[in-house]
Amino acid sequence: MSQQETFSQAPSLAKVFVRAAVAGKKSGTSLPASELVLTGHKVDRDHLMSYQRLCGFGVDDVLPHTYPHILGFPLQAELMARSSFPLPLAGLVHVENTITVRRLLTADDVLDVAIHAEGLRDHAKGRQVDLVTEVTVEGESVWSGRSTYLARGKGNPDAERGAEPPAVPQGIAAAQWSLPGDLGRQYAAISGDVNPIHMHPLTAKAMGFPKAIAHGMWTYARVLGALGRHVNGPSTSNVWFKKPVLLPSKVDFVVDRNQALVIAGLRSTRKPEVEHLALTLETAR
Amino acid sequence: MTTASPRRAAILGGNRIPFARQFGPYAKASNQDMFTAALEGLVARYGLAGERLGEVVGGAVIKHSRDFNLTREAVLGSSLAPETTAFDVQQACGTGLENAILVSNKIKLGQIESGIAGGVDTASDAPIMVTEKLRQKLLKINRAKSTVDMAKVALEIRPGDFGVETPANTEPRTGLSMGEHMAITAKKWGITREAQDELAALSHQNLAAAYDRGFFDDLMTSYLGLAKDQNLRPDSTVEKLAKLKPVFGKGEGATMTAGNSTPLTDGASAVLLGSEEWAAAHNIPVQAYFVDGEVAAVDYVHGDEGLLMAPAYAVPRLLARQGLSLQDFDYYEIHEAFASTVLSTMKAWEDEEFCTQRLGLEKPLGSIDRSKLNVNGSSLAAGHPFAATGGRIVASLAKMLHEKGPGSRGLISICAAGGQGVVAILEGA
Repeated sequence: MSQQETFSQAPSLAKVFVRAAVAGKKSGTSLPASELVLTGHKVDRDHLMSYQRLCGFGVDDVLPHTYPHILGFPLQAELMARSSFPLPLAGLVHVENTITVRRLLTADDVLDVAIHAEGLRDHAKGRQVDLVTEVTVEGESVWSGRSTYLARGKGNPDAERGAEPPAVPQGIAAAQWSLPGDLGRQYAAISGDVNPIHMHPLTAKAMGFPKAIAHGMWTYARVLGALGRHVNGPSTSNVWFKKPVLLPSKVDFVVDRNQALVIAGLRSTRKPEVEHLALTLETAR
Repeated sequence: MTTASPRRAAILGGNRIPFARQFGPYAKASNQDMFTAALEGLVARYGLAGERLGEVVGGAVIKHSRDFNLTREAVLGSSLAPETTAFDVQQACGTGLENAILVSNKIKLGQIESGIAGGVDTASDAPIMVTEKLRQKLLKINRAKSTVDMAKVALEIRPGDFGVETPANTEPRTGLSMGEHMAITAKKWGITREAQDELAALSHQNLAAAYDRGFFDDLMTSYLGLAKDQNLRPDSTVEKLAKLKPVFGKGEGATMTAGNSTPLTDGASAVLLGSEEWAAAHNIPVQAYFVDGEVAAVDYVHGDEGLLMAPAYAVPRLLARQGLSLQDFDYYEIHEAFASTVLSTMKAWEDEEFCTQRLGLEKPLGSIDRSKLNVNGSSLAAGHPFAATGGRIVASLAKMLHEKGPGSRGLISICAAGGQGVVAILEGA
């Protein structure tokens, strides 16, 4: 039985990351049963506008497809930083994400955001876990997200594989985006995700990356923003994060609308064989 | 002369976002953001998602150079089919109404079956320009072929070259602000402070009453938390307005205050037009027909005529072409740039000398029934984001005429910077 913990405002991510950095080694085979809930969240319009601008959505009263994720993320981090959580927060890699929008949400909706962890499982390269986010408005389920994180380590070659990502569309780029060196800091300022791998080349190097890397959730949001405003209505998206986007860089946005699902991707402009992201989108349209 | 048009252009509906005062809730919204929001509300109301319309004509008076394709970009950011063409027009405060003339003309000629006419303006998110001296030197640096040349030009930059400028509400040829121009005209026509304050108070009261009976429910979509025009003061009275100090004109006899002049505002509007066939095929009832439009200009530069008096010339030309008199209307929408603009225009139409000497008529056009004027409020209460005003008026008047019934008539008059005026006639369906 899960225990519910209610928050009237989201925990500070900076503090959570610091706590995680000084935490000891983690182990265990079970997940905390807690469900963390942010209740009665009123959308901050300034925050929404900054998010819409940075991620390429229209600036209006509609909550972007990915927006509720950043409301739940501080709760996810809070849970993952706890000693009862078996995997180390600092080393987790966001590998997959799914979002279902059940109805168009606006800045007037007062949101209850609940998160819990489930599905701790072996993976070929370590262990995986899902952080599930459920958003309700006056008890109506309006939005769900599932974020899959991988803790690299001793893998299990026999582990069951998840759904394979679709092939990133080939051919000419629909658009080319120049991503600035400070993109990670810009997105961190809005999302609160101040993970050092995104902040600066030096902090990223300390974590084993050659340069600062773009937030996966930014690339996900930016691709959805480019697909048109219908993504904010009833729809389901799946994203697979492949190679990280090193900053600064230039990326190709590719899209194939001729399949049953819209398939989109991001790849390096300079080295097209380097694929950063594959995404599928199904809309109720 | 009456020109028979090949077919009629129907006004099917409109949408705008509430108008916000400068640096208010839309302070950080761009023209593109606001126009997209106005379009999107219209698309939602009439089920136009994925639809390829004949054309979208928009524009803004104050525009960043990066927004050269403002309307097209807004269309691409909307749910309309990306194959919908678009272009920008700029005719100062006449932009929105001129766009409705352009779209309706194309429909009448059979060039398009449907279209959206609109406009947007922000007084908050204004472009910043550098001084002309600095701009010339920066361009020279840009042209420089070597780093040494660049450095040489860079050294020419003097501290005095720095400074930023924003677009001003000033006529480039006279150096006078629009308010100062209007003050001259108001004085010439002997428009009193009391008459102006009365008109202003009525504008607020009429707009408030229109909100109260839900008139704007299908003409507006809330935006960034604003659901009503921010400038509206339902409790405005002549007594309260009388306390304000004059801001335009000088010394004794100055009559124009912040209360009887429109404030700087941000906002956007859009109107859906179509052929009757297109409307029927899409199950959208016709509200009114766009009968005809006319534009006039006056020589305000040499002092011959007041800056905002061009509609006084455009209206009689339009009436003559349509074989109508000034009294043949159920509603008059005279844009309240300033209360004194409306009053000067009406006084001119009543004036024998003006009508015979200036307009070349045999007798004055006469008075209009004030109870038919701006009955749901106008720019003094709603605000006036320059290019958005035409769309606000066309959509509201079309709805009023539809409520009045088939054959009812409405006259629109909008003055514009540069001494121009755009006017139009709508007929109820």
